[in-house]
This record gives sequence, structure tokens and C-alpha cells, in this order.
Amino acid sequence: MNKTEYILNVNGKSKNIVSSEDKPLLYILRDDFNLTGTKLGCGLEQCGSCAVLVDGSKVLSCNRPAIEFVNKKITTIEGIAKNEVLNEIQQSFKEFNAAQCGYCTSGIIVSLTELFNKKKIPESKEIVESLSGQLCRCGSHASVLKAVNNVIKIRKNHG
Amino acid sequence: MVNKYKLNTGASVKDYNKVSDWLSFESPDKINISTGKVDIGQHISTTLALICSRELEIDINSIFVKKLNTDITPNEGITASSLSVPNSGTAIKAASIIFKRNFLDYAAKSLNLIKNNIKLDDGVVKDPNSNASISFWDFSQTEDFFKLSIPEIIEDINQNNIDHNFHVETKFINSIVQGEYRFLHDLKFDNMLHARIIRPQSYSHRFVSIDESIYKYLKDHNLELFIKNSFVAILGDDEYEVIKSLNRVKNSIKWEQVDKLANDEVFNLIDKNNKDTLVVKRGGEAFHENIPEIKSYKNSNYKTLTSEFNKPYLMHGSIGPSASCSIYKNGKFVIYSHSQAIYALKSILSNAFNVEEENITLHFMPGAGCYGHNGADDVTYEAALLSKEFENKYILLKWTREDENCWEPYGSASKNKLTATLDENNKIIYWSSEAYSDTYLTRPMVGKLEYFVSQRFINNDFKKYKAEPRTGAHMGIHRNLDPIYNFKETRLVKNLVHDLPLRTSALRTLGAFANTTATETFMDDLCIEVNIDPFEFRINHLDDNRAIDLLNDLKTQMKKDKLSENGFRGIAFSRYKNSASYCAVGVELTVSDNVEVELKQAWISVDAGEVAFKEGIEAQVEGGFIQAASWSLYEKVDFDNNEILSKDWDGYKIIEFDNIPLIKTSVINRVGFPYLGVGEAVAGPTGASISNALKRALGERIKSMPFSQENITKQLLG
Repeated sequence: MNKTEYILNVNGKSKNIVSSEDKPLLYILRDDFNLTGTKLGCGLEQCGSCAVLVDGSKVLSCNRPAIEFVNKKITTIEGIAKNEVLNEIQQSFKEFNAAQCGYCTSGIIVSLTELFNKKKIPESKEIVESLSGQLCRCGSHASVLKAVNNVIKIRKNHG
Repeated sequence: MVNKYKLNTGASVKDYNKVSDWLSFESPDKINISTGKVDIGQHISTTLALICSRELEIDINSIFVKKLNTDITPNEGITASSLSVPNSGTAIKAASIIFKRNFLDYAAKSLNLIKNNIKLDDGVVKDPNSNASISFWDFSQTEDFFKLSIPEIIEDINQNNIDHNFHVETKFINSIVQGEYRFLHDLKFDNMLHARIIRPQSYSHRFVSIDESIYKYLKDHNLELFIKNSFVAILGDDEYEVIKSLNRVKNSIKWEQVDKLANDEVFNLIDKNNKDTLVVKRGGEAFHENIPEIKSYKNSNYKTLTSEFNKPYLMHGSIGPSASCSIYKNGKFVIYSHSQAIYALKSILSNAFNVEEENITLHFMPGAGCYGHNGADDVTYEAALLSKEFENKYILLKWTREDENCWEPYGSASKNKLTATLDENNKIIYWSSEAYSDTYLTRPMVGKLEYFVSQRFINNDFKKYKAEPRTGAHMGIHRNLDPIYNFKETRLVKNLVHDLPLRTSALRTLGAFANTTATETFMDDLCIEVNIDPFEFRINHLDDNRAIDLLNDLKTQMKKDKLSENGFRGIAFSRYKNSASYCAVGVELTVSDNVEVELKQAWISVDAGEVAFKEGIEAQVEGGFIQAASWSLYEKVDFDNNEILSKDWDGYKIIEFDNIPLIKTSVINRVGFPYLGVGEAVAGPTGASISNALKRALGERIKSMPFSQENITKQLLG
């Protein structure tokens, strides 16, 4: 088995990795970084459970080799809170209990974090676009949208 | 004056009648709840903690709910059929009431106080004079505590009016939003092998041979192959290497097809195939009796209408694939499973592997939500089997997306045929309703090893099992076939259709989704025929005041909101199993020029008895609405003669955020009434209300789900 060595930066920490060249980022996060908040859902880039941020943009991690992300800043769901302070989306999800089983929630929060980092007050269309491909089976969509609207309301109130 | 009521402590207390079966007290301030129900995202842990918290006047954060572990938690059977709060919730409430009453007696006696003057503060009673105190935790150390029994009926309970409009954070949300909530899939042990199953094209393929050259590849990649007849698994310590090898190993195997998967379209097979046909009587039980002919009336003032409704095979479609972890060591199994039937699995695995039940421990660990019998039980059996072969190693087996989509037991395809006669006063005097479907009940069962899908491959002599019709009230196919309405005469018929192509079992609501959709869409056809308001028409056929209140509540809700441009509305209603929650749904939708259905607004009114956790009820009904809307608009398992075609999310579309309406939910609180299960009540009314709004939009009833562009166009063009 041919293995290669490279360095990945995840949630602000760099780590030396030895893996096969094709090993997708998802498995490196879960196996080598022990960050299991990013989920394996389909392995086909269809369900969004494996979403992470790479340099602030959403990337589905279940197929793309980790080696593609050398010299990039990778942020997983575990790295979204700063100094143990939840971001406004996580906080709002708590206030609206915006999860049922929670398997899809990491990917949804990651998607919304990208959106709200890029746009202060996103339009409804942009919210739906951001969540396109983020599948949920328990039907938490309505509570997720309530939590999103709450973030918008708070941002509007704070000018 | 505070009103009093009595509590029937219910089914779970019959088996576990000691307070200590349900509650344990851990110093300094922790209370543990035991439950035999599993939290699959329905917030049962929060609901139980909240019930206990209110009765014991203790902060919910001091109350912890133990995950099911067959060595220590009560066996409450399967977590299904909307019975978690009615069973476990009632037991916890009863245990908490009995505990508190006895604690107060004990505290009064120990501190020499008058019971009625005692002030309970965070589980502690203090003597204001001496400052001496007695706590719940002190009492829990006494012999008296372990003797406390829960009676069948508890009298004189104060009817407290609780404000449910404050936010209660669910038990796991804090860890979920930070990615710290552990699912079964996240388990890690030293000495663990990851596993995947290599499956053929269909149920009817058998292993013939393997290209021997594959063994070199396996050796080079530290992988092991396990073959038992046609059951093939691959194992290794690196999960990705296992996944990567799947196609390569699959392609090295020669399979033979011993039978076709299907030889006709499923709705034709439902008509053609052999059936067990039973009469269902008012009350919902089924009987092996002669089937009466459909009645016809000669009165020219009467109107007779007919209807038909088809539902395709639906999948559970859990976002995370089914998974299980098992180790067999020193003659004992330790197994982690996200099944809803953990206790049943224990007995079955004991029989299957000839290991005493006392040597099997099953732990529940969360999987991704599904609501029903998906692959969770199959994968647990498979993981146990592999761990028996690879002793002393943890085996973490996960299904692939294709496994999940193609090998789970689906919700059966079904057909409903109805006839009704209205008299000259626009009252329904005759109602005939027939349900046709495969079984919904192949959950794990002792003596039915064949219900596990892998038995078809492990056992070369496997013969397809023949389902037996169940006769209990509202079982499977005939769930909610008996309408709640006061029709003068009914003819209800259940048909268990044999030899249908796909494997089936329990999917959220079983037959109730189809039966309620069929009933409530036909009710709408009838009210349109006689030009009566749909609320009024239903109320004209109801005697149950709670049902009438519910419909009026929905009507009030819907009146407050303006109709959207080009919007059409539909309503529907049912009481799940005619014994659980009442639920009424209103939907507003538009249909675009290219026949795409957009959901604009939805209103839900629900009566689940006494409210334990309002936000939990809202989450259940709104989540159930969204899942049922997805079934109604998008979902259908596709297959051909040889294989299932809906192998991934491209081949099996489900609802997304682009078609979620604004949902408003009204929860009617019936203080002092029994808790009614709420997880499934909304599905049937959702399917029917969407169909009813569509009929108003299109002027025609669309008879087959899903109400997709393809199906609507097909029917409209004839």
C-alpha cells in the first residue's frame, strides 16, 4: 500500500498525517483527528452530512482526498465555537431545539455558518440555496428555519 | 380548589411496579431515570426528565436518563407505535408521585413535622427550628425506598396547570450543535475491525465462485474476507481501505440469479396475487369471516361514489446508514445497536447463536433517525455473526448507502378501494373500505430468523416466508381502516397480499398513512359532491367532542391567515389508531404551470392528552408532517425485474428546504387526561390534506402517490 505524508490544519491545529493518497478528508478527520462530529451519510456527496469549511467555504468531505487540502484552513463542527463560545447559529439552534436525531445537524450548521459569514442578512432564496443538498429525515427543517430567522432577527436588531 | 384526578399507571408498571425500577438517586443531587424506550430523536429523554422534574419539583438538569442497557433497564418491548410517553412517561410520572408522597411521610416522621406544612426545596425538607434536614437522597438509601410499589391506579392527584410556553432545552442539543453527541457510528475500540457486507444485485442472487487472485489484493491491504454460502463480508482495521475494496471484491465474485425480482408492475400484482382476506369490525379487530358484497341502494335520492388510492413502496431512508458494533469474548456478547427492538434482539440472538441470554448485553446507542424497522436490526444480527467468527475483536459494521436503500425492509406498496353512499340529508349511510398491502410486521421475532435479510444468503436453502395476517385492533395493514366517523353501516376489509416483490416491514404509521389518506380524501370527494364545507361535513359525522374541538381549532387557525396568490387549501383529520393522538392538518399549496407543487402554509392542531413537553409534541408533529409531505410529493422505490433502482439519493428524492411551508401548530392541553402517543398522528392527515388541496387546484383527484410532476401529468393526460 503506497502511503504519503502531509500536514493538515484543522480547527487551528496542524498535524502530520500518513495515509494513502486517495483517502478522503472525512476519514482523516474522524480517524486521525478524532473529530467525529463530521458524519458519513452517503459517501457520494449527496446528503451533506460530511460538510466542513475549507478557507471559509463549504466542502463535502466524504470523497475528496485530504491531500487536496494541504495549506488550507479546515474547520469542522467542533471548531465552529470559539473559546467554548457557541456561534450565533449554534446558539439559535439551542434556543429552538433545531435538531431531532442530530445526525444531519453538523452539516446544516456548517452550511449556515458559511452563509452567515459571507452575508450579514441573507435573503430567503440564499438560505434555501445554502441548505440545498443538506438532507434531513426526521423533518427538523421547520425548526432549523425558525432558528435561522432568529439569527436574522438578532442581526437586524443589532444594526 | 385544586381539582383532583386519578392515574391509571399503565402497561409498563404492570411488569415493573417498584419505584426503584424507574428511579435511582445518586448523590449529591443526581436523579437517574431508567426507561426501556430508546431516544431516536423523538425527545423521549427530555420528555421523561421533564415529567419527573415536575412531579419531584427538581431542576431538569439534575435528572439524567440512562441509555437502554439490557442488563439494567426495564424491558418495555419495542419503541414503536407512539407508545413511549403513554408507557414510559406514565410509569415515570407514577413512580415520581409515589416516591414524593412517601418521601414527605418519611420526612415528616423523621423530623417530627406536620406533613401539610412541609416545604420541599430541591429535594430537601428542612426543619425550620432545628435546621435538621432530610433529602430525597437520604430516603433513597433506606429499605423503605426499595419496598415502594406503584399501584395500578393512583388516586387524588392534583390537577396542576403548568405553563408550557417556556423554552426547555432538549437533553442532547448542546452536544449536537457542537458535534460532540456520540452516535454508534463514532465508536472506537482498540482491537476493532471495520466491516462491510458485499451484496449481490438482488435478494434472488446466489454466490457461485470468487476469482482467487483477489486474495493477494486483500493480503496487501490488510483485509479479511468472510464467506458463508452467499453471505460475504470484508473486514479490516482501516475503514476507508474496507470501503475502497468493496467494488473490487464484488467484481471478483460470480453470482447467479435464481429468480426474477418482479415480473409486473406492483399495483397489478396487488390485484392479481393470492391474498388473505379478513373482515375488520368497528373497534378495529380483524376476523376470518365471509366477506360481504358491497351494498347497492335503489333509492334515487341516494348518491353512491367510489374512490381508489395507490401508495408505492417507501423507504425509511435514514440519513446515516444502519450500523452495529459487537464483540464476542469468553462466551459472551456485548453489542451496540440503534434498533428500536433491543430486547427482542437479545432473545433472538440467544437462539440464533446458542448463547444464553444472560451472556448477551445489548446497549442502545443512537443512530440516525428513521422511525420504524429499517436496517438497524439486520445490521445488529450481521455484526453479531461476524463477531462470533472473529472472536475477541470489536466488529463495527456499517451499511453502505446502497445497502440502506436497497436492502432495508420498505413500507409496503398498497392500494385502497372505497365506496360510500349518501342519503338525501347528505349523511353517509354506508361506507366500504378495502385495504390491500404486504405485511408491515417483520420486526425481529423469536423463531423468525428468516426476517433478517442476510438469512437469504447465509442459508442456501432459504425459502421466502409467507406472512400471516394479524388480527389485533389496528394492526399493520388495517391500522385506521376503521373510520372514526359515525357511519351507520360499514364494510371494512383487510387484504394481506402475498408474493409481492420487495421485502417490507414497519414504516412510521404502518397502514395508517394509506388508510387515513384514503378515508380523508374520499371524505373530501363526498363533501365536494354535496357542496358542504369540509369542516362541517366531517363534524356532521362525528360524535367525539375532542375530535370536534380539534377541527374547530384548526378552522380558527386557518381563518387567521390570508390565502396566498393562486393558493388552494385542503384539510384532513384522524385519531391515530382511534386511540392515540387526535390530529388535524390544513395545507395551502400552489401548482405551477409545469405542474410542480409548492407547499406554502400548513396548520396543525393536535390533542395528545395531557401535555408533557409542548416543544417535543410540536417537533414530533412538524417533523412528521414534513416526512409525510415528502412521501406524498416525492417518494417511490423504483425497481425493475432484476434489481432495486433507487440506490442512492439521486434515485430516491426526498423533501428539501426548498419546499418547507410555514408551519403553525396548536397543541390542545387536556390536563389530567392520559398521555397519548404523538409520533405518528400527523402522517395520514398530511397525505390527505395535500391531496385535498391538489384536488381543489387541479379539479381532479390524483389517485397515485407521489404527487410528482410525472404522476400528475400522466393522470391529467389520461
